[in-house]
Amino acid sequence: MSSSSKTRHSIVPPVVHTGPKPPVHFTSSISIADSAILIGTGLITIHSESVIHPRAKLDSTLGRVSVGRRCIIHERATLGAVPTPPPPSMPIVRGGEGMSVALGDYVIVEVGATVEGGETVIAEGTLIGVGARVGAGAKIGRHCTLTPMSEIAAGEMLPDFTVVYSNGLRRTDNRGMTELKNKGITRQIDVLRRMIKSNPQKFA
Amino acid sequence: MSSRRVPRGEYIETDTGNKVARKATLVGTQNIMLGGKTVIQPEAMIRGDLVRTIQAPAPASGAPPNNTAVSIGRYCFLSKGCCLRPPGRPYKGAFTYMPLRMGDHVYVGPGAVIQAASIGSHVHIGAKVVVGEFAIIKDYVRVLDGAVIPPNMVIPSFSIVAGQPARVIGEVPEGMLESFELRDLYKTVGNNPQPPPV
Repeated sequence: MSSSSKTRHSIVPPVVHTGPKPPVHFTSSISIADSAILIGTGLITIHSESVIHPRAKLDSTLGRVSVGRRCIIHERATLGAVPTPPPPSMPIVRGGEGMSVALGDYVIVEVGATVEGGETVIAEGTLIGVGARVGAGAKIGRHCTLTPMSEIAAGEMLPDFTVVYSNGLRRTDNRGMTELKNKGITRQIDVLRRMIKSNPQKFA
Repeated sequence: MSSRRVPRGEYIETDTGNKVARKATLVGTQNIMLGGKTVIQPEAMIRGDLVRTIQAPAPASGAPPNNTAVSIGRYCFLSKGCCLRPPGRPYKGAFTYMPLRMGDHVYVGPGAVIQAASIGSHVHIGAKVVVGEFAIIKDYVRVLDGAVIPPNMVIPSFSIVAGQPARVIGEVPEGMLESFELRDLYKTVGNNPQPPPV
Protein backbone atom coordinates (compact mmCIF):
# COMPACT_ATOMS: atom_id res chain seq x y z
CA MET A 1 0.00 0.00 0.00
CA SER A 2 2.84 2.35 0.83
CA SER A 3 4.34 3.03 -2.57
CA SER A 4 1.10 3.53 -4.39
CA SER A 5 -0.99 5.29 -1.79
CA LYS A 6 -0.66 8.58 -3.64
CA THR A 7 -2.22 7.33 -6.82
CA ARG A 8 -4.82 5.17 -5.15
CA HIS A 9 -6.21 7.78 -2.93
CA SER A 10 -9.57 6.25 -2.25
CA ILE A 11 -10.90 2.85 -2.95
CA VAL A 12 -14.48 3.58 -2.02
CA PRO A 13 -16.39 3.36 -5.28
CA PRO A 14 -19.00 6.03 -5.84
CA VAL A 15 -22.49 5.27 -4.65
CA VAL A 16 -24.88 4.77 -7.50
CA HIS A 17 -27.89 6.96 -6.91
CA THR A 18 -30.76 5.86 -9.04
CA GLY A 19 -34.21 7.19 -8.49
CA PRO A 20 -35.57 10.38 -7.05
CA LYS A 21 -33.98 12.32 -4.22
CA PRO A 22 -36.40 12.22 -1.34
CA PRO A 23 -37.37 15.18 0.84
CA VAL A 24 -35.65 14.90 4.21
CA HIS A 25 -36.13 16.26 7.69
CA PHE A 26 -32.99 16.07 9.82
CA THR A 27 -32.23 17.53 13.19
CA SER A 28 -28.82 19.12 13.59
CA SER A 29 -27.42 16.49 15.97
CA ILE A 30 -27.60 13.46 13.68
CA SER A 31 -24.63 11.80 11.98
CA ILE A 32 -25.20 10.53 8.51
CA ALA A 33 -22.36 9.13 6.43
CA ASP A 34 -21.61 10.59 3.06
CA SER A 35 -22.16 7.25 1.36
CA ALA A 36 -25.53 6.49 2.93
CA ILE A 37 -28.20 5.97 0.30
CA LEU A 38 -31.48 7.84 0.52
CA ILE A 39 -33.96 7.26 -2.27
CA GLY A 40 -37.71 7.44 -2.81
CA THR A 41 -40.40 10.07 -2.85
CA GLY A 42 -41.75 10.12 0.70
CA LEU A 43 -40.39 12.22 3.54
CA ILE A 44 -37.43 10.75 5.44
CA THR A 45 -37.27 11.97 9.04
CA ILE A 46 -34.30 11.29 11.28
CA HIS A 47 -34.57 12.43 14.88
CA SER A 48 -31.83 13.72 17.12
CA GLU A 49 -28.55 11.89 17.78
CA SER A 50 -29.20 9.00 15.40
CA VAL A 51 -26.31 7.56 13.41
CA ILE A 52 -26.51 6.30 9.84
CA HIS A 53 -23.48 4.26 8.76
CA PRO A 54 -22.02 4.29 5.24
CA ARG A 55 -24.01 2.34 2.64
CA ALA A 56 -27.11 2.11 4.77
CA LYS A 57 -30.14 2.50 2.56
CA LEU A 58 -33.30 4.38 3.45
CA ASP A 59 -35.94 3.91 0.80
CA SER A 60 -39.11 5.98 0.96
CA THR A 61 -40.61 4.61 -2.26
CA LEU A 62 -43.56 3.17 -0.33
CA GLY A 63 -44.19 6.17 1.91
CA ARG A 64 -42.64 8.08 4.77
CA VAL A 65 -39.66 6.69 6.69
CA SER A 66 -39.15 7.84 10.24
CA VAL A 67 -36.12 7.06 12.43
CA GLY A 68 -36.39 7.84 16.15
CA ARG A 69 -33.92 9.33 18.59
CA ARG A 70 -30.55 7.65 19.17
CA CYS A 71 -30.98 4.94 16.57
CA ILE A 72 -28.05 3.27 14.85
CA ILE A 73 -28.50 2.08 11.29
CA HIS A 74 -25.48 -0.01 10.34
CA GLU A 75 -23.94 -0.44 6.91
CA ARG A 76 -25.92 -2.20 4.21
CA ALA A 77 -29.10 -2.20 6.28
CA THR A 78 -32.19 -1.34 4.30
CA LEU A 79 -35.22 0.47 5.68
CA GLY A 80 -38.35 0.55 3.55
CA ALA A 81 -37.43 -2.17 1.09
CA VAL A 82 -40.10 -3.02 -1.45
CA PRO A 83 -41.40 -6.47 -0.42
CA THR A 84 -40.56 -9.28 -2.81
CA PRO A 85 -42.85 -10.97 -3.58
CA PRO A 86 -45.55 -8.48 -2.53
CA PRO A 87 -47.86 -9.85 0.16
CA PRO A 88 -51.27 -10.70 -1.34
CA SER A 89 -53.18 -8.95 1.45
CA MET A 90 -51.51 -5.64 0.94
CA PRO A 91 -51.55 -3.70 -2.30
CA ILE A 92 -48.30 -1.86 -2.87
CA VAL A 93 -48.90 1.83 -3.36
CA ARG A 94 -45.82 3.49 -4.70
CA GLY A 95 -45.30 7.05 -3.70
CA GLY A 96 -48.11 6.79 -1.18
CA GLU A 97 -48.52 9.31 1.59
CA GLY A 98 -48.74 6.60 4.25
CA MET A 99 -46.05 5.45 6.62
CA SER A 100 -43.53 3.02 5.19
CA VAL A 101 -41.30 2.33 8.19
CA ALA A 102 -41.40 3.89 11.64
CA LEU A 103 -38.53 3.26 14.05
CA GLY A 104 -38.87 4.19 17.72
CA ASP A 105 -36.05 5.51 19.88
CA TYR A 106 -32.91 3.45 20.62
CA VAL A 107 -33.46 1.05 17.72
CA ILE A 108 -30.39 -0.65 16.26
CA VAL A 109 -30.55 -2.11 12.78
CA GLU A 110 -27.41 -4.16 12.24
CA VAL A 111 -25.36 -4.96 9.14
CA GLY A 112 -27.34 -6.14 6.15
CA ALA A 113 -30.70 -6.31 7.93
CA THR A 114 -33.78 -5.50 5.90
CA VAL A 115 -36.97 -3.84 7.10
CA GLU A 116 -39.63 -3.99 4.43
CA GLY A 117 -41.88 -1.00 3.89
CA GLY A 118 -45.66 -0.83 4.33
CA GLU A 119 -46.64 0.51 7.75
CA THR A 120 -43.94 -1.49 9.47
CA VAL A 121 -43.43 -0.34 13.06
CA ILE A 122 -40.43 -1.11 15.22
CA ALA A 123 -40.86 0.17 18.74
CA GLU A 124 -38.34 1.57 21.18
CA GLY A 125 -35.16 -0.29 22.12
CA THR A 126 -35.42 -3.12 19.61
CA LEU A 127 -32.33 -4.72 18.09
CA ILE A 128 -32.57 -6.07 14.54
CA GLY A 129 -29.63 -8.47 14.19
CA VAL A 130 -27.22 -8.96 11.31
CA GLY A 131 -28.99 -10.00 8.12
CA ALA A 132 -32.42 -10.29 9.76
CA ARG A 133 -35.52 -9.53 7.74
CA VAL A 134 -38.71 -7.87 8.97
CA GLY A 135 -41.70 -8.35 6.66
CA ALA A 136 -44.00 -5.58 5.46
CA GLY A 137 -46.55 -4.40 8.00
CA ALA A 138 -44.97 -6.23 10.91
CA LYS A 139 -45.31 -4.59 14.32
CA ILE A 140 -42.33 -5.25 16.55
CA GLY A 141 -42.81 -4.42 20.23
CA ARG A 142 -40.51 -2.58 22.61
CA HIS A 143 -37.06 -3.93 23.52
CA CYS A 144 -37.26 -6.98 21.29
CA THR A 145 -34.16 -8.75 20.01
CA LEU A 146 -34.03 -10.36 16.60
CA THR A 147 -30.88 -12.47 16.48
CA PRO A 148 -28.88 -12.60 13.24
CA MET A 149 -30.59 -14.05 10.18
CA SER A 150 -34.02 -14.35 11.84
CA GLU A 151 -37.10 -13.53 9.82
CA ILE A 152 -40.38 -11.93 10.82
CA ALA A 153 -43.28 -12.63 8.46
CA ALA A 154 -45.25 -9.81 6.87
CA GLY A 155 -47.94 -8.41 9.14
CA GLU A 156 -46.77 -10.27 12.23
CA MET A 157 -47.15 -8.71 15.70
CA LEU A 158 -44.31 -9.29 18.14
CA PRO A 159 -45.07 -8.53 21.82
CA ASP A 160 -42.69 -6.42 23.92
CA PHE A 161 -39.42 -8.01 25.16
CA THR A 162 -39.56 -10.93 22.69
CA VAL A 163 -36.30 -12.58 21.68
CA VAL A 164 -36.39 -14.37 18.32
CA TYR A 165 -33.52 -16.81 17.98
CA SER A 166 -32.36 -20.02 16.38
CA ASN A 167 -34.49 -20.09 13.26
CA GLY A 168 -37.70 -18.76 14.77
CA LEU A 169 -37.78 -19.90 18.40
CA ARG A 170 -39.14 -17.25 20.78
CA ARG A 171 -38.73 -16.40 24.41
CA THR A 172 -39.26 -13.38 26.61
CA ASP A 173 -36.41 -11.25 27.82
CA ASN A 174 -36.81 -10.93 31.59
CA ARG A 175 -33.47 -9.40 32.35
CA GLY A 176 -34.92 -5.95 32.91
CA MET A 177 -31.86 -4.10 31.77
CA THR A 178 -33.39 -1.68 29.32
CA GLU A 179 -31.97 1.34 31.13
CA LEU A 180 -28.49 -0.11 31.04
CA LYS A 181 -28.83 -1.02 27.40
CA ASN A 182 -29.96 2.46 26.44
CA LYS A 183 -27.02 3.91 28.32
CA GLY A 184 -24.71 1.63 26.35
CA ILE A 185 -26.24 2.78 23.08
CA THR A 186 -25.73 6.40 24.10
CA ARG A 187 -22.05 5.74 24.71
CA GLN A 188 -21.70 3.92 21.42
CA ILE A 189 -23.29 6.86 19.61
CA ASP A 190 -20.86 9.25 21.29
CA VAL A 191 -17.99 7.29 19.76
CA LEU A 192 -19.61 6.79 16.37
CA ARG A 193 -20.34 10.49 15.98
CA ARG A 194 -16.63 11.17 16.16
CA MET A 195 -15.77 8.35 13.73
CA ILE A 196 -18.29 8.72 10.98
CA LYS A 197 -17.83 11.76 8.82
CA SER A 198 -21.26 13.30 8.78
CA ASN A 199 -22.51 15.13 5.76
CA PRO A 200 -26.19 15.95 6.17
CA GLN A 201 -26.02 18.79 3.64
CA LYS A 202 -25.58 16.30 0.85
CA PHE A 203 -29.09 14.99 1.32
CA ALA A 204 -30.82 18.27 1.99
CA MET B 1 4.21 7.04 -12.09
CA SER B 2 3.87 6.34 -15.78
CA SER B 3 1.85 8.61 -18.00
CA ARG B 4 0.85 5.82 -20.32
CA ARG B 5 -2.66 4.70 -19.69
CA VAL B 6 -2.77 1.05 -18.83
CA PRO B 7 -6.07 -0.73 -19.37
CA ARG B 8 -8.01 -0.75 -16.14
CA GLY B 9 -8.57 -4.25 -14.91
CA GLU B 10 -11.24 -5.34 -12.54
CA TYR B 11 -8.67 -5.68 -9.78
CA ILE B 12 -5.94 -3.47 -8.40
CA GLU B 13 -2.86 -5.62 -7.92
CA THR B 14 -0.39 -4.25 -5.41
CA ASP B 15 3.34 -4.86 -5.15
CA THR B 16 2.81 -7.32 -2.33
CA GLY B 17 0.44 -9.36 -4.46
CA ASN B 18 -2.85 -8.23 -3.01
CA LYS B 19 -5.70 -8.28 -5.50
CA VAL B 20 -8.31 -5.76 -4.50
CA ALA B 21 -11.42 -5.38 -6.63
CA ARG B 22 -12.19 -1.84 -7.70
CA LYS B 23 -15.76 -2.40 -6.63
CA ALA B 24 -14.83 -3.40 -3.10
CA THR B 25 -15.83 -0.92 -0.42
CA LEU B 26 -12.92 -0.31 1.88
CA VAL B 27 -13.68 2.41 4.40
CA GLY B 28 -10.75 3.87 6.32
CA THR B 29 -8.02 2.25 4.20
CA GLN B 30 -5.24 3.70 6.33
CA ASN B 31 -6.32 1.42 9.19
CA ILE B 32 -6.50 -1.79 7.14
CA MET B 33 -3.38 -3.96 6.99
CA LEU B 34 -3.13 -6.58 4.27
CA GLY B 35 -0.38 -9.16 4.67
CA GLY B 36 0.01 -9.75 0.95
CA LYS B 37 -1.43 -12.15 -1.63
CA THR B 38 -4.89 -11.41 -0.32
CA VAL B 39 -7.88 -11.33 -2.65
CA ILE B 40 -10.73 -8.93 -2.01
CA GLN B 41 -13.60 -9.54 -4.38
CA PRO B 42 -16.14 -6.96 -5.57
CA GLU B 43 -18.74 -5.69 -3.10
CA ALA B 44 -16.73 -6.89 -0.13
CA MET B 45 -16.68 -4.30 2.62
CA ILE B 46 -14.10 -3.63 5.32
CA ARG B 47 -14.77 -1.06 8.02
CA GLY B 48 -11.33 0.30 8.76
CA ASP B 49 -12.78 3.53 10.08
CA LEU B 50 -13.97 1.88 13.28
CA VAL B 51 -10.70 2.23 15.20
CA ARG B 52 -10.25 1.75 18.89
CA THR B 53 -10.78 4.95 20.79
CA ILE B 54 -9.28 3.85 24.10
CA GLN B 55 -5.66 2.86 23.77
CA ALA B 56 -4.24 0.03 25.80
CA PRO B 57 -1.54 1.17 28.21
CA ALA B 58 1.32 2.20 25.94
CA PRO B 59 4.43 0.01 25.97
CA ALA B 60 7.32 1.41 27.96
CA SER B 61 9.38 2.00 24.82
CA GLY B 62 7.02 4.76 23.83
CA ALA B 63 6.11 3.26 20.50
CA PRO B 64 3.47 5.14 18.55
CA PRO B 65 -0.06 3.88 19.18
CA ASN B 66 -1.16 1.22 16.78
CA ASN B 67 -4.28 2.33 14.98
CA THR B 68 -4.91 -0.76 12.91
CA ALA B 69 -8.59 -1.65 12.88
CA VAL B 70 -8.47 -4.72 10.63
CA SER B 71 -5.35 -6.77 9.98
CA ILE B 72 -5.36 -9.60 7.50
CA GLY B 73 -2.61 -12.17 6.90
CA ARG B 74 -1.39 -13.73 3.67
CA TYR B 75 -3.43 -15.68 1.15
CA CYS B 76 -6.78 -14.64 2.54
CA PHE B 77 -9.77 -14.68 0.26
CA LEU B 78 -12.70 -12.32 0.86
CA SER B 79 -15.61 -13.34 -1.36
CA LYS B 80 -18.27 -11.17 -2.91
CA GLY B 81 -20.49 -9.24 -0.54
CA CYS B 82 -18.76 -10.20 2.67
CA CYS B 83 -18.22 -7.64 5.40
CA LEU B 84 -15.44 -7.37 7.96
CA ARG B 85 -15.94 -4.97 10.84
CA PRO B 86 -14.12 -4.60 14.12
CA PRO B 87 -16.10 -5.59 17.21
CA GLY B 88 -17.09 -2.95 19.74
CA ARG B 89 -17.89 -3.06 23.44
CA PRO B 90 -17.99 -0.89 26.53
CA TYR B 91 -14.58 -0.68 28.14
CA LYS B 92 -13.70 1.30 31.27
CA GLY B 93 -16.90 3.26 31.17
CA ALA B 94 -16.76 4.20 27.51
CA PHE B 95 -17.43 2.46 24.23
CA THR B 96 -14.57 1.37 22.02
CA TYR B 97 -13.97 -0.74 18.97
CA MET B 98 -11.25 -3.37 19.13
CA PRO B 99 -9.04 -4.55 16.27
CA LEU B 100 -10.06 -7.53 14.14
CA ARG B 101 -7.14 -9.84 13.43
CA MET B 102 -7.08 -12.52 10.83
CA GLY B 103 -4.35 -15.10 10.16
CA ASP B 104 -3.21 -16.62 6.87
CA HIS B 105 -5.23 -18.71 4.42
CA VAL B 106 -8.62 -17.54 5.68
CA TYR B 107 -11.49 -18.00 3.26
CA VAL B 108 -14.54 -15.80 3.88
CA GLY B 109 -17.60 -16.92 1.96
CA PRO B 110 -20.00 -14.68 0.03
CA GLY B 111 -22.29 -12.56 2.17
CA ALA B 112 -20.58 -13.44 5.44
CA VAL B 113 -20.41 -10.80 8.18
CA ILE B 114 -17.38 -11.08 10.46
CA GLN B 115 -17.20 -9.21 13.76
CA ALA B 116 -14.75 -11.56 15.45
CA ALA B 117 -11.91 -10.48 17.70
CA SER B 118 -9.50 -12.89 16.09
CA ILE B 119 -9.47 -15.58 13.45
CA GLY B 120 -6.57 -17.99 13.24
CA SER B 121 -4.91 -19.42 10.17
CA HIS B 122 -6.38 -21.91 7.71
CA VAL B 123 -9.99 -21.10 8.50
CA HIS B 124 -12.83 -21.68 6.07
CA ILE B 125 -15.93 -19.55 6.67
CA GLY B 126 -18.89 -20.50 4.49
CA ALA B 127 -21.46 -18.38 2.70
CA LYS B 128 -23.84 -16.17 4.70
CA VAL B 129 -22.15 -16.93 7.99
CA VAL B 130 -22.48 -14.39 10.80
CA VAL B 131 -19.59 -14.32 13.24
CA GLY B 132 -20.66 -12.49 16.39
CA GLU B 133 -18.72 -9.81 18.18
CA PHE B 134 -15.54 -10.87 19.97
CA ALA B 135 -15.76 -14.47 18.82
CA ILE B 136 -12.38 -16.16 18.63
CA ILE B 137 -11.78 -18.76 15.95
CA LYS B 138 -8.57 -20.77 16.23
CA ASP B 139 -6.66 -22.53 13.42
CA TYR B 140 -8.00 -25.11 10.96
CA VAL B 141 -11.68 -24.45 11.60
CA ARG B 142 -14.42 -25.00 9.06
CA VAL B 143 -17.60 -22.97 9.53
CA LEU B 144 -20.41 -24.34 7.39
CA ASP B 145 -22.76 -22.15 5.34
CA GLY B 146 -25.39 -20.15 7.18
CA ALA B 147 -23.96 -20.67 10.65
CA VAL B 148 -24.51 -17.94 13.23
CA ILE B 149 -21.62 -17.84 15.68
CA PRO B 150 -22.79 -16.14 18.88
CA PRO B 151 -20.81 -13.27 20.37
CA ASN B 152 -17.79 -14.19 22.55
CA MET B 153 -17.73 -17.83 21.40
CA VAL B 154 -14.31 -19.45 21.31
CA ILE B 155 -13.92 -22.16 18.69
CA PRO B 156 -11.01 -24.54 19.25
CA SER B 157 -8.69 -25.69 16.48
CA PHE B 158 -9.74 -28.45 14.07
CA SER B 159 -13.48 -27.94 14.71
CA ILE B 160 -16.32 -28.09 12.24
CA VAL B 161 -19.01 -25.64 13.25
CA ALA B 162 -22.59 -25.20 12.05
CA GLY B 163 -26.09 -24.16 13.13
CA GLN B 164 -28.00 -21.17 14.48
CA PRO B 165 -26.54 -20.63 17.04
CA ALA B 166 -23.38 -22.39 15.96
CA ARG B 167 -22.10 -25.47 17.77
CA VAL B 168 -19.10 -27.65 17.21
CA ILE B 169 -20.48 -30.59 15.23
CA GLY B 170 -17.30 -32.44 14.40
CA GLU B 171 -13.59 -32.49 13.90
CA VAL B 172 -11.56 -31.83 10.78
CA PRO B 173 -10.06 -35.18 9.68
CA GLU B 174 -6.30 -35.32 9.32
CA GLY B 175 -6.39 -35.85 5.56
CA MET B 176 -8.44 -32.69 4.99
CA LEU B 177 -5.87 -30.20 6.20
CA GLU B 178 -4.57 -29.67 2.67
CA SER B 179 -7.94 -28.34 1.56
CA PHE B 180 -7.48 -25.19 3.66
CA GLU B 181 -4.62 -24.02 1.43
CA LEU B 182 -5.68 -21.02 -0.65
CA ARG B 183 -2.66 -20.61 -2.92
CA ASP B 184 -4.40 -22.18 -5.90
CA LEU B 185 -7.55 -20.17 -5.36
CA TYR B 186 -5.44 -17.01 -5.27
CA LYS B 187 -4.17 -17.71 -8.78
CA THR B 188 -7.65 -18.16 -10.24
CA VAL B 189 -8.73 -14.54 -9.72
CA GLY B 190 -7.26 -11.23 -10.73
CA ASN B 191 -6.73 -9.40 -13.97
CA ASN B 192 -5.20 -12.40 -15.74
CA PRO B 193 -6.69 -15.35 -13.92
CA GLN B 194 -5.29 -18.81 -14.38
CA PRO B 195 -7.52 -21.86 -14.69
CA PRO B 196 -7.71 -23.92 -11.51
CA PRO B 197 -5.41 -26.93 -11.47
CA VAL B 198 -7.17 -30.20 -12.13
